[in-house]
Amino acid sequence: MSSSEQKYNDTIVKGFLISGLVWGVASMLVGVWIAFQMVYPELNFGPYFTFGRLRPLHTNAAIFGFALSIIFATAYHTVQRLCRVRIWSDKLSNLHLFLYNLTIIAAAITLPLGLNQSKEYAELEWPLDLMIVIWFVIFLINYFATIFTREEKQLYAAIWFYIASWVTIPILFIVNNLSIPVSWIKSYSVYSGVYDANIQWWYGHNAVAFVLTTPFLGLMYYYLPKHIKQPIYSHRLSIIHFWSLIFLYIWAGPHHLLYSPLPDWLQTTGMVFSIMLWMPSWGGMLNGFLTLTQAKEKIKTDATLKMLLVGLTFYGMSTFEGPLLSIRAVSGLGHNTDWIIGHVHGGTLGWVGMMSFAVIYYLVPRMWNTNLFSERLANTHFWIATLGILLYIVSMWVSGISEGSMWRAIDETGALKFPNWVQITETLKPYRLFRGIGGGLYLIGLIIMIYNVVRTIMNSGSGFKEIDLRIGSKEEKVV
Amino acid sequence: MNWFDKLLDWFSGFTDQWEKHGVKFTLYTTIAILIGGLFELVPPFFLTKTAEPIQNVKPYNALELAGRDVYQKEGCNNCHTQMIRPFKWEVDRFDPQHSYGKDGYSKAGEYVYDHPFLWGSKRTGPDLAHESQIQPSAEWHKTHLINPRDTAKGSIMPAYPWLFEESSIIDASKIADHMRGLQKVGVPYTEEDISSASTLLAGKTAGDALIAYLLKLGRDTAELSKSLQ
Repeated sequence: MSSSEQKYNDTIVKGFLISGLVWGVASMLVGVWIAFQMVYPELNFGPYFTFGRLRPLHTNAAIFGFALSIIFATAYHTVQRLCRVRIWSDKLSNLHLFLYNLTIIAAAITLPLGLNQSKEYAELEWPLDLMIVIWFVIFLINYFATIFTREEKQLYAAIWFYIASWVTIPILFIVNNLSIPVSWIKSYSVYSGVYDANIQWWYGHNAVAFVLTTPFLGLMYYYLPKHIKQPIYSHRLSIIHFWSLIFLYIWAGPHHLLYSPLPDWLQTTGMVFSIMLWMPSWGGMLNGFLTLTQAKEKIKTDATLKMLLVGLTFYGMSTFEGPLLSIRAVSGLGHNTDWIIGHVHGGTLGWVGMMSFAVIYYLVPRMWNTNLFSERLANTHFWIATLGILLYIVSMWVSGISEGSMWRAIDETGALKFPNWVQITETLKPYRLFRGIGGGLYLIGLIIMIYNVVRTIMNSGSGFKEIDLRIGSKEEKVV
Repeated sequence: MNWFDKLLDWFSGFTDQWEKHGVKFTLYTTIAILIGGLFELVPPFFLTKTAEPIQNVKPYNALELAGRDVYQKEGCNNCHTQMIRPFKWEVDRFDPQHSYGKDGYSKAGEYVYDHPFLWGSKRTGPDLAHESQIQPSAEWHKTHLINPRDTAKGSIMPAYPWLFEESSIIDASKIADHMRGLQKVGVPYTEEDISSASTLLAGKTAGDALIAYLLKLGRDTAELSKSLQ
């Protein structure tokens, strides 16, 4: 038990950290599996383990199992420290952890059974949606009650990003999931056709914004300065990029529907706001980078810092690629191809994954009051994960651009150059194989981390000794 | 850049105030995130041109609807799109018979009875919006679904043999319930449509239904287009 256990509730942080690790492995294992299904169709074991049923399992487990666990772990950890009070109710937080994991388990069972609403990232059927609403409300009560009983008057930047996520996620989730149940296991969306598409991608893009971006910016604002013991570079920059980010993000959804029958004014609005989003996103990235430069000498020796650096780099890269892809002409080539898969994984493996790993390496020794079992293994994890991401993204870029080019290739007579679909599929095979290998490397990195974390926890209570990363501080020998 | 500094001073001047008030801060954040959403989600419902209904497009009959349920259950939309963009190369590829005249791309009016929409976001396999015109043979679809490699060597699509097994025979009463549900969200099913479920579905497997659905895709608009030509 850590020394802070009397003042703060760390049990809940530990609980969410562990569920994050479990769902992380599960989602990435399925991810690697379906990546290889794209090359070897024999890996589809019907009826329960075909690509069509496993793909939603992969995305749901990754976003709502892995990422959300890390978000809740850090939310419970930071809100108590930043408000200087214990979480409002221990009972509610335990109930939250229990119901949350119950929902993810139910999702892992129902999705392979083929029970889904066919809306991307909102596949779960209506009884599970209701369960999500219940534990989210429990969590909201607990979180906001903690804020209202706080002893620290000023709300620090990290909290803003969490609050923005908590108010937006329920709005998106409820509006998009409105459906009419026809039995316990089946429902139909209340919206039809174009309206449904518009609402789905308003939700879909903002799941990226308010689940995979803002909470992770929040944790960046807390853990990065904490880890290097230096203040955030600019408070004013954080104000500007926070307000412009949350205002602009909501508009970006229609860029998923360019050239579709969605009204033109909507497509254009979506495109324009997506391009504008580049600025606040880079505002956040630069604030992170400029903070990090205050400890740049330690990047060579500290794995956590390296992960934060690479996480920020990929944040900058995918938030540059996103606006680029939302330009009509670029979307014409990239839409529906593997390029998009590469883009998404640049954000998820690079930004969300790396920031999560950094936080896990930061939190585990502190929560279990011991030192990390092996810095060297953490370093190995870092390199193997980085290599995996690069292999993944580069192969998907090549695959996606080849795919888009082959679809549109026309010969001298004006006829399609590659009318046979399978010919294109065969061309993409090697790149898809490399994608699987890249994903496999990333998964191996995660397994190394889990081994490291388990060995660390086995030493729990042996006393935590902090390494000072400030410039000029005495070098610690890294084992 | 003096004006920019002044702008920042002015803006952070009042946001700094909110940061000490949890309720105020949360309220303003909510307003900020609602504006864009309201602007984009609400007007389309009131603009009549958002989805002009196409006169020939009819709701899915009981068998086709059962097939659509199978399509959703198997997650076909993870690999197949149902939306053709207005590019020559997409129109040529997905409307080889020129069934739709010069306008072989997708229109909003084709999807008015789709709850939910199934446009998909990834085209690992070909687009299916006009499948009825591209591959009209039910026999071909059956062979393809049982083992895709038999009709397209090198395909990476999973095989779906179980869809045609005895155990996959569809329960007609369930589909009737599904139609009643869809009626509530605005699909104009008549009592006759619903009562026809038992005859249409008698002895039909999930695979038969899926093929019926695939052969419905693009059929109504193609027929309209042919009658106009």
